Amino acid sequence: MPPDFWTVMFPAVTAAFLASIVEVVEAFTIVLAVGTTRGWRPAIAGTLAALGLLALIVIVLGPALQVIPIRVLQLFVGVLLLLFGMGWLRKAVLRSAGVLPLHDEIAAFANESAEMQSQTGTPQALQWIAGIAAFKAVLLEGLEVVFIVIAVGAGKGLLWEASLGALAACVLVLGVGAVVHKPLAQVPENTLKFGVGVMLSAFGVFWTGEGLGVAWPGADLMLIALAAVFLLAGIVFVRMARTKFERSAA
Amino acid sequence: MTIVTDVFKELFKMFVADLRLTLAILGSVALVSFLLKFTSVSPLIAGLLLVFLCLVVLAEAILREAWMRGRPKGRPKGHR
Repeated sequence: MPPDFWTVMFPAVTAAFLASIVEVVEAFTIVLAVGTTRGWRPAIAGTLAALGLLALIVIVLGPALQVIPIRVLQLFVGVLLLLFGMGWLRKAVLRSAGVLPLHDEIAAFANESAEMQSQTGTPQALQWIAGIAAFKAVLLEGLEVVFIVIAVGAGKGLLWEASLGALAACVLVLGVGAVVHKPLAQVPENTLKFGVGVMLSAFGVFWTGEGLGVAWPGADLMLIALAAVFLLAGIVFVRMARTKFERSAA
Repeated sequence: MTIVTDVFKELFKMFVADLRLTLAILGSVALVSFLLKFTSVSPLIAGLLLVFLCLVVLAEAILREAWMRGRPKGRPKGHR
């Protein structure tokens, strides 16, 4: 086991795995709507094409980042992780506080199915539209996973480990989805989003600091402390946001 | 072309879900960078300041949104 397994590798792979679950569940809902409305051939073709493109982005962009000097890379990736992670944490806190509605997979499935059924054209055209809809859904949801995989992977040379974490989530969600054959509304998406937001914010602060020349006490162990700080802050912010929301509505 | 446009929109939204939060984070990083480069502040203090600033700007973004969404009128548009 590598010496930084618990402090760096485990959080990085877990972040990629959990983020991938959130995004694949959302993409699966649309692919399911396409498949049940227009048939599985365009749905699977669109999904595979998008997954291939996403894999290509990781394969090309991941190693390309390795040629950038480590301090510059850590600062660049750290700032992007801060922006992305704190964005996810903000949204998850607002949803937990009841300020924003939770993502509703059943409603998303109904909307996508209705949109598919409302389209007219030749059978061939409809198949193309369905395939493109599946392609677009998987590509757009997958972009966030690709960013997380590249970001957490590039900073410490964990690209393949993070990719495997994301791929495992993809296989898990698609496997469960294929069995239950309905939107995976039971997955606690917001809790997962909260957790990933905490981890990515911690990675973001840690790497931004390292990129700027901060010598963190305890080196990589500081990542765990930072994650604990963001987790506690997130829990407190949920209470504060709920109170603020109720007071402003009164 | 729609797909390409949507990809760029998605990439933009990934990092700019809340413009003020994005600018505040970038400002915090710039401030800490300035302090490290042009003053004698210790790297550890600068790191702790970065953590503190991130928590402050996150709290501000969350409470601002909660307040705006809670108001009976004038709910913000364009937020995800």
